[in-house]
Amino acid sequence: MKTGLLKNCWVVFAKEVVDALRDRRTLLRLLVPAVLMGPLLLLALSSLIASLEERAEKREVLVVGMEHAPTLRNFLERQTYTIKPAPVDYEARLRATTLLEPVLVIGENFESELRSGERPTVEVVSDSANQRAGAGMPTLLRLLQGFNRERATLSLALRGVSTDLLQAVDVEERDLASAQARATRLTGIVPMFIIMAVLYGALTAALDSTAGERERGSLEPLLMNPVQHFALVLGKWGAVALLGMAVALLANLSFVAGQWLLRSDSLQAMFQFGWFEVVAFLLLQLPLAAGLGAVLMALAIRSKTFKEAQAGSALVVTLVGLAPMVSMLNPGGDAPWYLWVPGLAQNTLMMLVLKGESLTLARVLPGVVVGVVLTVLCLLYVARSMRSAVAR
Amino acid sequence: MIEIQNVSKHFVARTGGSLFQRAHRQMVHAVQGVTVHAANGRITGLLGPNGAGKTTTLRMLAGLLKPDGGSITVDGIVVDQAPRQALARMGILGDAHGLYPRLSARENIVYFGRLQGMEADVAHARAKELSRLLDMGAILDRRAEGFSQGERMKTALARALVHDPANIVLDEPTNGLDVLATRALREVLRHLRSPAGGGKCIVFSTHIMQEVEQLCEHVVVVAQGRSVAQGSVPELLEQAAESRFEDAFVKLAFPQPVAVETA
Repeated sequence: MKTGLLKNCWVVFAKEVVDALRDRRTLLRLLVPAVLMGPLLLLALSSLIASLEERAEKREVLVVGMEHAPTLRNFLERQTYTIKPAPVDYEARLRATTLLEPVLVIGENFESELRSGERPTVEVVSDSANQRAGAGMPTLLRLLQGFNRERATLSLALRGVSTDLLQAVDVEERDLASAQARATRLTGIVPMFIIMAVLYGALTAALDSTAGERERGSLEPLLMNPVQHFALVLGKWGAVALLGMAVALLANLSFVAGQWLLRSDSLQAMFQFGWFEVVAFLLLQLPLAAGLGAVLMALAIRSKTFKEAQAGSALVVTLVGLAPMVSMLNPGGDAPWYLWVPGLAQNTLMMLVLKGESLTLARVLPGVVVGVVLTVLCLLYVARSMRSAVAR
Repeated sequence: MIEIQNVSKHFVARTGGSLFQRAHRQMVHAVQGVTVHAANGRITGLLGPNGAGKTTTLRMLAGLLKPDGGSITVDGIVVDQAPRQALARMGILGDAHGLYPRLSARENIVYFGRLQGMEADVAHARAKELSRLLDMGAILDRRAEGFSQGERMKTALARALVHDPANIVLDEPTNGLDVLATRALREVLRHLRSPAGGGKCIVFSTHIMQEVEQLCEHVVVVAQGRSVAQGSVPELLEQAAESRFEDAFVKLAFPQPVAVETA
């Protein structure tokens, strides 16, 4: 009887996989976003960073009224900056985010006030809602501070005072984060997409093999075969979990392929997503795919139609899909209970992998235990519910 | 051989209710004393109006519902105690006979054959044999997606017969079939009953009198959850003292002038 259970289980599994793979249209709708997600996300990130780097390389300053300040012009040109006149309607264009750089505005009396020590005012105009322009602000401000310091140093030197007085303290920055940990600021969104991929891969298969089967009227004939109900459920569940994992694998691979599209060298150096990460991510998803597949089947078996089942599973899908937000909204504050929540646990563990930290058994085990317990409980429930689902 | 002995089954249904008023529970006695003896080599008809309890009885036979009372045996196996052994001896075409739309007719048949414990090559050989018997060579390798009603029924029947069961149970198989398909089905059932076809025990439920007249050696009339009369068609005519089977059926199924009952 034992071998019979496994054989029946295999027959059901093979049929469900073939059935799901033949549903090309649904499959495509699942796979296209899963496969394109990685490259698109990385492309967007890389073009943002590349444009920032490009601007740093260009060394340009947009100025209004440069002709009033020959001394400043001299300083800027000595710093190898190119001076460009700002467009007349720079304010409107900054607001409309068509101008992506801050503008330096110089008053008419700049030169004469500077000479007589009256501290002329210059304006640095930007729009804080215009993020790209905002990102250019620190560079421009540092440049103007440099000008200030040079003027001060010259004045002090003329009076015979040591310029060391200007700098009582030497400040040095030391960043403890490794290059990988720094990169997680950018790549922290990747695990969430992988979890979504598992979720959507398992969802359609789980609903189709339970509520869908019932809606088509094929569940009743299926139960009229002399097969243990648990074998039917086990076979179906295997196919559901496999599809979840398959979509997760594709999403993973899409990030590997997406790396080739990275235009920015520094991002490429930071984003390290190799085969080790792929394998680790997949293994970490196993308990999630297993548990989630079983939960979705348990939710769907009681529904009479696919539509009803979809409505019923929306809550689970949303909760698990958005679980990673908990840690995103609370960065650095990972609590121990995170590891016990499906979705959140996988997110936390994947972030550890991305940061290059080691996975200990104590960190991985809670997620596995939760996954196994959920799977067993839900599958037993589905096996018990099948007959009554048909009889109603 | 199928023996259904005085089975009964009730359901709890809900009344409509409204937004503010909870629905009430109501007891529905779907079956209250149906007895059927279906011998081998014979087509036994379960004749009754809609809602008489035919489908519920057949669902209890298939082990989907547990009877409240009475007993059901298939070739001496008690369905309630050993449902899987009993199912292995039956080929059932229930009122729900959905196919897998993305599998071909052949794959649909072989899948059930495998679940009946057949090896893959045996199941394939059997599918070929059944496609000859049911004349479905043209659709055997097409996906079930676009099948007509008749093609769907043939495939479902082949699927139910894949393990060559000694007992065949059909719940209103001619529903939605045209004349030709009905005739073909009739021929197949006659063949299966004959010694050449294996002398099967066939139970066939329907509400259509002509079907029963033309096909069944033995008829059980079911009305309001009870089996009210049984025998061959001539015997039933004699019992009701009528010359037309339709009149005999109405007389047997509704003994008094039809009264609306409030259960």
